[in-house]
Amino acid sequence: MAERYLAELTKIRDAVRQDLLGGRINLLLGWEKGHYWWQSRPLFAEDEKDLERLTWDSFCAVNLSRYLLDELKDYQKIGVLVKGCDSRAFNRLLQDNMIARERVVLYGLPCPGMLDYSLLTAVAGVAPEGIDEENGRVVLKTVAGEKTVERDQLLLYKCRDCLYPDPVVYDQLLLIPRGAKEAPERYKSVTALEELPADERYAYWDKELSRCLRCYACRQACPYCSCRECFVEQDKPRWQGRAYQASENFLFHLVRAYHGAGRCIDCGECQRACPVVIPLQELNRKLIKDLNELYGQFEAGLNAELEPPLLTYKPNDPAAFSEK
Amino acid sequence: MKKIVTADKLPVLWSHLAGQGKLLLPVKEGPTVLFKEWTAGDEVALDAPTSAISPKDIFFPREETYMRYRCRGPVLELSAGEEFEPVTAFGVHPCDLKAFEMLDRVYLDQDPVDELYRDRRARTTVVALACFAPDPFCFCSVFGIDPVSAPGADVIAHLDRQSGNLMLEAQTVKGEALLKGDASLLTEANGQSYGPALVKTADFGLKLSGLSENLKGRFEDPAWDKLYKSCLGCGVCTYVCPTCYCFDVEDYGHEMAGERFRCWDSCMYGQFTLMAGGHNPRPSRKERIRQRFLHKLQYYPETYGEIACVGCGRCLRSCPVNLDIVQAIIALGGEQNVQR
Repeated sequence: MAERYLAELTKIRDAVRQDLLGGRINLLLGWEKGHYWWQSRPLFAEDEKDLERLTWDSFCAVNLSRYLLDELKDYQKIGVLVKGCDSRAFNRLLQDNMIARERVVLYGLPCPGMLDYSLLTAVAGVAPEGIDEENGRVVLKTVAGEKTVERDQLLLYKCRDCLYPDPVVYDQLLLIPRGAKEAPERYKSVTALEELPADERYAYWDKELSRCLRCYACRQACPYCSCRECFVEQDKPRWQGRAYQASENFLFHLVRAYHGAGRCIDCGECQRACPVVIPLQELNRKLIKDLNELYGQFEAGLNAELEPPLLTYKPNDPAAFSEK
Repeated sequence: MKKIVTADKLPVLWSHLAGQGKLLLPVKEGPTVLFKEWTAGDEVALDAPTSAISPKDIFFPREETYMRYRCRGPVLELSAGEEFEPVTAFGVHPCDLKAFEMLDRVYLDQDPVDELYRDRRARTTVVALACFAPDPFCFCSVFGIDPVSAPGADVIAHLDRQSGNLMLEAQTVKGEALLKGDASLLTEANGQSYGPALVKTADFGLKLSGLSENLKGRFEDPAWDKLYKSCLGCGVCTYVCPTCYCFDVEDYGHEMAGERFRCWDSCMYGQFTLMAGGHNPRPSRKERIRQRFLHKLQYYPETYGEIACVGCGRCLRSCPVNLDIVQAIIALGGEQNVQR
C-alpha cells in the first residue's frame, strides 16, 4: 500500500476509534480488504477488533451511504466514511426523507478516484500481481515486468468525470481536500449519441440493453432508488413483465432513469455494479444535461436544502411541450 | 478421433458449424465476453477467461415458452412454445461443463423429467475448451475439477496459444459425427498433441471436506447475522452462476391470446418466496443469503452428494460488493489457512 494511504488510514482509524469506543457512534461503515488486493468491500465495524480490518486504498469504490437505510433500524447512531460521491448520495437520501441527519456522523474523505481492475489488466496485458502508486502514476507489476501508467487512465468509468472529489457534507473532514475538478468530457458520449439519427440511436440502446439480465444490481446500488417498493415489483397493476424482451428491458431502464431525473447524483454506482457493463451513466447524464438546459444548471446532491428542479414549480418554468 | 483446425481456418469452421444449426461461441460483446449465437463478423474470444454469464442458458434459457394460446371464435388453439434446432456449443470451459452435470441431476434425474431441458440437451453437441490461462477469479481445483479435461463433453478442444490452432478430440458418438466434417477443414492429428498445459487455480485455503455435514443444525448460526450485511439484494450472483437453476412461471397476454413461459428467478429477490396473502418466510436479506449459500453448501450435497459450486469465479468477479461464495465458506469455517 502506498505510504500516503497508510498515513491516511492511521488518521481515519484514530478518529473513528475514538468515536466508536467513546460511544459517539455504535457502528462504523467503512471498507475492508476482500480476497484480492484490488477488492475493498464494505466493513460493518462494531468494536475495536472489527476496526483492525479497516482499509483505505484505491479500491474503496462501494458507496456506503445506502447501507444507512437498513442499518439505522438496528443502530442508534452510525458513522460513515464518505467520499465526494458518497456524501452526495447521503444528501440524496436525506432529501428523500429516508434518514435522520442527527443519527449519522459523516467522516469526509477527499477522494483520489478509484481504480478499475479490468482496466489494470487490460493495460498490463496480463493480470497484474500488484501495483505501486506515486505522484499520479501507477506501477503495474506483472510476471513480465513493470509498466508505469498515468493514474487517470486507470480510473473507474464513474470516477473519470468526477466534479466533486471532496465530500460536500460532513461532520469531520479527515483528509486534505483535493479541490473541485473539471470534467470537460462528461457529456461527450451523450452528445455523440444525440447526434445519431433516431434509428441508429435506437439500435445502439437495443444492443446495449439486450445484455441486461434484469438482476437489478443497478437499482440496488443506486442512492436515488430508495423507494420501499419499486414499480418493478408492483403487481396491481403489473408494470414490469418478467420476460427478457427488449421492450421489457427498455421499460425498466427508461422508467428508472426518469425516476432519477434531477435526483441522480451521477455517482455511477449503477454502471459499476452492472455485470455486463451497460453504459447506464449515459442515460442518466442525458437527463442531467436536458434538465440543465431546460431549468438551469443543477447538480443533485450538492445541497440537501435545494429542491431538484422537477420537485418544484415556478411560474416561469419552460413548458417545452406546449410551447411548440 | 483427433483432428486439427489451423488458426486461419477457424472462421470457415464457424460458418460450417453455423450452417448445420445454431452455433454458440464465446463472443466479445462491448467490454464483456458472452456465450451467444455466433453470426458472421462476431469477434470470437476462445482465449478469454470464463464468459461474464455462465453458458447454462444453452439448456436453461433466461426465458422459454411452454405453450401459446389463441381464441378464434369459439375455438381455442394451443401450440407448443419452442422449436428445437441442432445446436453446437463451442468453447465451454470445464467448470461450466461440470455445472451442466449438476443441472442434469435436477432436471433429468427425476420423474417426470423436464422436457424442455431434455430436448435442448439432446439437440446440443458440446465442445469443451481446455483452460490454459485461468484468470485470478478461478478456483475450480478446490472442487476437484481438472481445468484441462472435460469428461462428459462430446468433443474436447485444446488451443495452441502460439499458433492459434485447435486440436479437437471426439469423446462421444455425437462428437465423432461433428468431426467427420470437411477434410480440407479438419485435418488428421497424426499423433500430434497439444498440452495439456499445467494449469493451477487459486484455492483460498478452502477446506470443504465435512463442511456440508457441519452446516446441518447451523441454520441459526450467528455467522448469518453478519454475512448478509453487505448484500445489496440484487440478483447478480444467481444470474451469473452456472449452478443456480430456479425459475418462475408466468402468463403473458390477455384472454384471447398469449403464452405461458418460464424465466430465471432469483432467491435473492424479496418476491421469490412472497406468498398470496402477503406472508414471506424469507423477509430479509439475511434469510435469502442463508438460503442461497445453504442450498449450495448443504441442501444440494444432501440430495446429490456434492457441493453445488464449480469454482468458476463469476460471483467473485461480478458481485458489486464482493460478497461471494468464498467469503461465505470462510465465514462458515471452511478455511484451512487463515493467512492469505
